[in-house]
Amino acid sequence: MYSVLKGCGKTAAKLVAIALPVLVASYAPDTLAIPAFARQTGQNCVACHAGGQFPELTPYGRLFKLTGYTIGERNIPISAMAVVTDTMVRSRNDPNPGGFAKGDFPAQNGTPIFNTASIFLAGKVTDNIGGFAQWTVNQYDHLDGGGNWQSNTVSDNADIRYVDRFINANNDVIVGLTFNNNPSVQDVWNSAPAWGFDLVPGSNPAGFPAKPQLGGALAQQVVGLGAYAYWNKTVYAELSVYRTADKFWSFMSQGFDSTDGTRSRLVNNTPYARIALTKEWGAHNFMVGAMAMAPEVYNDPTQPPGSPTTKYRDIGIDAQYQYILDPHTVTAQFSYINERIHYDPSVAGMPGAYDSLMGTASQPLTNTTDRLNLFRAKASYVYRAKYGGSLSYYNLSGSYNSLNQMGIPGDLTAGGLNNSVSSNVTGKPDTVAWIPEVFWIPVQNARVGMQYSMFTKYQGAKNNYDGWGRNAKDNDALFLYVWGAY
Amino acid sequence: MNKLLTLGIVVGTMSVAACVNLDRSRTLGNPSVSGSVLAIQVCSNCHGVDGNSTSPAIPRLAGQQATYIVNQMKTFRGHERSDPAGQESMWGISRHLTDQQITDLAAYFSKQKAQPNPSADTPQLIAQGKEIFENGIPDQNVIACSACHGPTAQGIEAFPRLANQHADYIVKQLNVFQNTQGRPGTPMEAVTHPLTGAHKAAVAAYLQNFPN
Ligand code: HEC
Ligand code: HEC
Repeated sequence: MYSVLKGCGKTAAKLVAIALPVLVASYAPDTLAIPAFARQTGQNCVACHAGGQFPELTPYGRLFKLTGYTIGERNIPISAMAVVTDTMVRSRNDPNPGGFAKGDFPAQNGTPIFNTASIFLAGKVTDNIGGFAQWTVNQYDHLDGGGNWQSNTVSDNADIRYVDRFINANNDVIVGLTFNNNPSVQDVWNSAPAWGFDLVPGSNPAGFPAKPQLGGALAQQVVGLGAYAYWNKTVYAELSVYRTADKFWSFMSQGFDSTDGTRSRLVNNTPYARIALTKEWGAHNFMVGAMAMAPEVYNDPTQPPGSPTTKYRDIGIDAQYQYILDPHTVTAQFSYINERIHYDPSVAGMPGAYDSLMGTASQPLTNTTDRLNLFRAKASYVYRAKYGGSLSYYNLSGSYNSLNQMGIPGDLTAGGLNNSVSSNVTGKPDTVAWIPEVFWIPVQNARVGMQYSMFTKYQGAKNNYDGWGRNAKDNDALFLYVWGAY
Repeated sequence: MNKLLTLGIVVGTMSVAACVNLDRSRTLGNPSVSGSVLAIQVCSNCHGVDGNSTSPAIPRLAGQQATYIVNQMKTFRGHERSDPAGQESMWGISRHLTDQQITDLAAYFSKQKAQPNPSADTPQLIAQGKEIFENGIPDQNVIACSACHGPTAQGIEAFPRLANQHADYIVKQLNVFQNTQGRPGTPMEAVTHPLTGAHKAAVAAYLQNFPN
């Protein structure tokens, strides 16, 4: 921690220098985390965001979204968002001579960067139609061959709805259709993968080694149409169908390129189901829910139909609790996703990653099935919608598969083709992190925060997970951010 | 770009086709949406469809005096009532409501039946509150609330109903009257002058648990 904090004063000053304009720009007392929505209802951000910590929704914010963003008056439907960050990873040292040493990891370590900027088209269209679509410029998207950062403009989240609500003294039914590009982005609870954790870009430089399909792996690569109903503020049920966002729909997956194989391609239309039970009492509210999806994904998205695929079966359960009563906001989220992965027979039972490279036979053959479990929990507290803190816990675990085992103890040559940070000698994805955060909301549409990611396990090991001596805690990172929206 | 255009045309056509839905509209700037539709489509999200809000952060409107509701809506709209919670939640909601819509909204909520609102307060605290409400504390210049809010706390005309209101909201408003200019020009400024924290807590507990 000390090495990370060293030099913090200097960078903090730089951060302020870069961030100040963002803060100033967002300081306009009458404007309001999609400010276009706030202008549409004329309300303050805290009406919809719990303790002001966007994007987490209050009970009213959830109803606003479930009724298709149609409360209020039509307004100029444009918002902008900017995120300035500064990441300092505990150790950039890459002991692997063939590795990442010359790479810029993480982007501009210890230097504040203007990380991402977004534009939103958001608002009410008619009495029944409303939505939002976000485009984001990732300034530090990837390194080119010459080791320079390239930016990338991507279609970010989008959710467009058609909604009606039949409500009288005895019955209340909200029914709607949602068209979106990220399974669970349509969800109104912040335990859902799209809205729950790691929302500030750059917060975790080393990255988490694997993502379940339901945990964001398909985000912005698919389009889905769903129908949902919320009955008496008690039962929410939704059924959606997703397909690859290609051809006509490729504008919903801009930034991914199917020809270079970065965008997942689903075999068929894939159903996604979601159910949630909710209860409100006094200043408290609670939700418990489940979701499921079983996508079949081409191993190589550039190959024609009939080429090998991987079948996933994902089941998630989640829960959220909130207590909101001035001056206190207390919230807690929990999510567990279990994934079964079934490989095509033509790729299963093959030599492991190391053996296939080295032509040796030291590893077990690759698995026909794998499992992945992702458990996440987060608790937060905000005082007077101004000062807050949160603590998150991340726990990814899964089966051993020689497919992922790039080095083996004793001979690291194969692993040497990868940089230390992402190299794996254990063949397991197991990663555990604790992430405390403190933040300040000086004006309602800006947040300044500091968080620290602490890894107690990374890619299956506490120590020497890459075979070159890199330890889980070397990926610990201090992260400062200024997040503003207008 | 062509695709965006196509999508635009599709959405555009749908929009025109479904442009107005006056019976179930959530539009706040359209005078032809009736107050009772807004009450159930918009206000219900926070105040409850029958005006008995669940969250203590949001006042109950069930059985509230229509005149009082009209007055409050107009002072939100005109920004005279400027306590923070009112500003955050009610300025925007009320900004373009017409007088007619406000009258209808008030009629809707005043007709709703207030439900009991039991809390875990002790009988002693509630009894102290009852004493203050009914008789005041003359030697401390605390006036009996019932003089204006009525013996059964039902209110009358511009004097609000307080029975079954959330204690948390009552205390918050008493503080607004006492310490701020958030709700100017009412007798409550003088009334709250001598009140201590203990008085406020007691009378609020009594009112929330008001015997029906
Ligand atoms: C986002 C939630 C929200 C919505 C929607 C909302 N209100 Fe409110 N309302 C509040 C809050 C919070 C207060 C308390 C403000 C305060 O403390 O000053 C309030 C206060 C009021 C008051 C004053 C009550 C009193 O006892 O003084 C009235 C009247 C009122 N609202 C009417 C309405 C009407 C009519 C609508 C619909 C057109 C509506 N509200 C929609 C949250 C809401
Ligand atoms: C002289 C008459 C008078 C007396 C006595 C009086 N009130 Fe009031 N009270 C009013 C009026 C008038 C209002 C409405 C103010 C407004 O329109 O903003 C009011 C408003 C309130 C409100 C705000 C209600 C709401 O829904 O926002 C509370 C709470 C309240 N009074 C409590 C009390 C208590 C407690 C007492 C006794 C200690 C008391 N009042 C005594 C006249 C009185």
